[in-house]
Amino acid sequence: MFSNVSRSRLLPMSLPFRFFGAATGFQIAAWALLLAHSKEVLSFEAGLGPVFASLHLLTLGVLAMVAIGATLQLLPVATRQPVRALWAVKLAWWLLVPGVAAFTAAAASYRPDLMGPGAMAVTLALAVYAVLLFLNLRNARGMRVVVMHGWAALACLVALAATGIALVARYEHGLALDHAAFRSAHVALAAYGFMGLLAVGLSQFLLPMLALAPPPPPRTAMATLSAAAVAIVLASFGLTDVASLLGLAAAAIHVYSMERSLKARLRSPLGSSFLLVRVSWACLLASLALAALGFPGGTLLFGLVLVPGWLLTFLLGVMQRILPFLASVHASTAARGMPLISAMTPARLLGVHAALHVTAVVLLMVSTLTNLPWLVRAGAAAGLAAAAAFALFYGYVLAKVRTYGNACPPSQPAPA
Amino acid sequence: MEMPVRQVSRRLHEEHEATLALWSRVEASLAAGKIDAALMRSAAVSLAAEIERHFAFEEKELFPRLAAAGEGDIAELLAEEHVAIRAAGERFIALAKADPADQRLKPLGLELAERLVSHVQKEEMSLLPALDDLLDEGADHELASAYAAL
Repeated sequence: MFSNVSRSRLLPMSLPFRFFGAATGFQIAAWALLLAHSKEVLSFEAGLGPVFASLHLLTLGVLAMVAIGATLQLLPVATRQPVRALWAVKLAWWLLVPGVAAFTAAAASYRPDLMGPGAMAVTLALAVYAVLLFLNLRNARGMRVVVMHGWAALACLVALAATGIALVARYEHGLALDHAAFRSAHVALAAYGFMGLLAVGLSQFLLPMLALAPPPPPRTAMATLSAAAVAIVLASFGLTDVASLLGLAAAAIHVYSMERSLKARLRSPLGSSFLLVRVSWACLLASLALAALGFPGGTLLFGLVLVPGWLLTFLLGVMQRILPFLASVHASTAARGMPLISAMTPARLLGVHAALHVTAVVLLMVSTLTNLPWLVRAGAAAGLAAAAAFALFYGYVLAKVRTYGNACPPSQPAPA
Repeated sequence: MEMPVRQVSRRLHEEHEATLALWSRVEASLAAGKIDAALMRSAAVSLAAEIERHFAFEEKELFPRLAAAGEGDIAELLAEEHVAIRAAGERFIALAKADPADQRLKPLGLELAERLVSHVQKEEMSLLPALDDLLDEGADHELASAYAAL
């Protein structure tokens, strides 16, 4: 379908980094919007408005944006297949960025009539990405576990787009459908399906690689994937109780196998990125436990544990590591040599970022239990500060690529 | 890291594991503020052999095959890392030979540990899986024999 195949599995730096840059900006916008409308958070149920827009700035603007940028760079390593068309990657970015901006701006200003064009651009961007993912997985060799997670995530992406279009059609044209059922399916397919399965699949090779650890046993990973896939299908059809229990079992096995793998690692310092990854795993388990228990604390608490807690925290933890790694690769030239990853890693800033982000997530969760609006404000402010710290980190990495890192040798070991 | 299929990939993988184990010890020791003279000497000897044999084999036999298979920029990247590791490695080896308790070994050792770990990660992700795809049994046997003879 696409010509102009990339020769190598290593993409030009501008391709993945444009997705990471856009996600950095959308993350700031999401937290700023939440802070500006913090009074509306505790009464949020599902309708349009700033809280809905903030949620979609995170899910589409940050999570999907990074998922596309990161998988197009990392999956070719696992599948031994280059990305099929670099122009299609650029097209996906050019559709997704204005699409997310238009969709969330319309939603924030309660204008369902204007959400359609943004939703359409986002859908087209995801369709282009889905084709790229399909072409990459179709000829994949090696790392069967990662490839199978990729196929399952792709199937969820297709179903996710279908439910998303149906929901937008309901808002815009009054399409008659069971809103609650479609919304539940949309959430399960997005958070546990598309994003969750990509995260779990790539974890199987990425985290052991970063920590110099053996990968989890493939049989365990495949069993976990099978259970998770069945759970997602059941959740999509409204069988929440059984789905959440099965999903919880799958997630527990995944976390246990990853922890066993990390325990056997050769490098001891794991750094703030792995702290975030572990917090995200706790949130993944907590979200499924909440669902299994019938959502005590309400669906708002569940949503906070799920989106900023599990998915955003995991993604930020991984980004803390792969941004300097990819930047060091791209900063290398024959004349200047390869810069050290530690020279591209502002360890203190990343520590501050991790602390602020975890504080934001905890404050928001506590606010839903205590019903205290000032805690929402404090949580959103901490989230905004964390997003600003992450933007500084992104700028730092880009500046280091331009100036070729730091010639000084390290005084301390680099974290894994 | 996945176990490679081909003989030559497996051999390189085993050497990578030994390198990671040794340099993780070096890194931990230096980070604790110790300059363990015996460990520094052992690291220097191992590094000299690695540069002499492992690097030379990859540059002569494997990187050209990678480049011919359309992975030229990865081959180039790995070769650039060899240059940086050689430069730091030669200074480390000279210092460790002269005085294995020399304090200047700490920054050099930490730099080498980081460079070697990062290099092994990239070869495990890109070079070895590519070799598994590129080599047939005959070429694999030939390369494995040539490597064993070095």
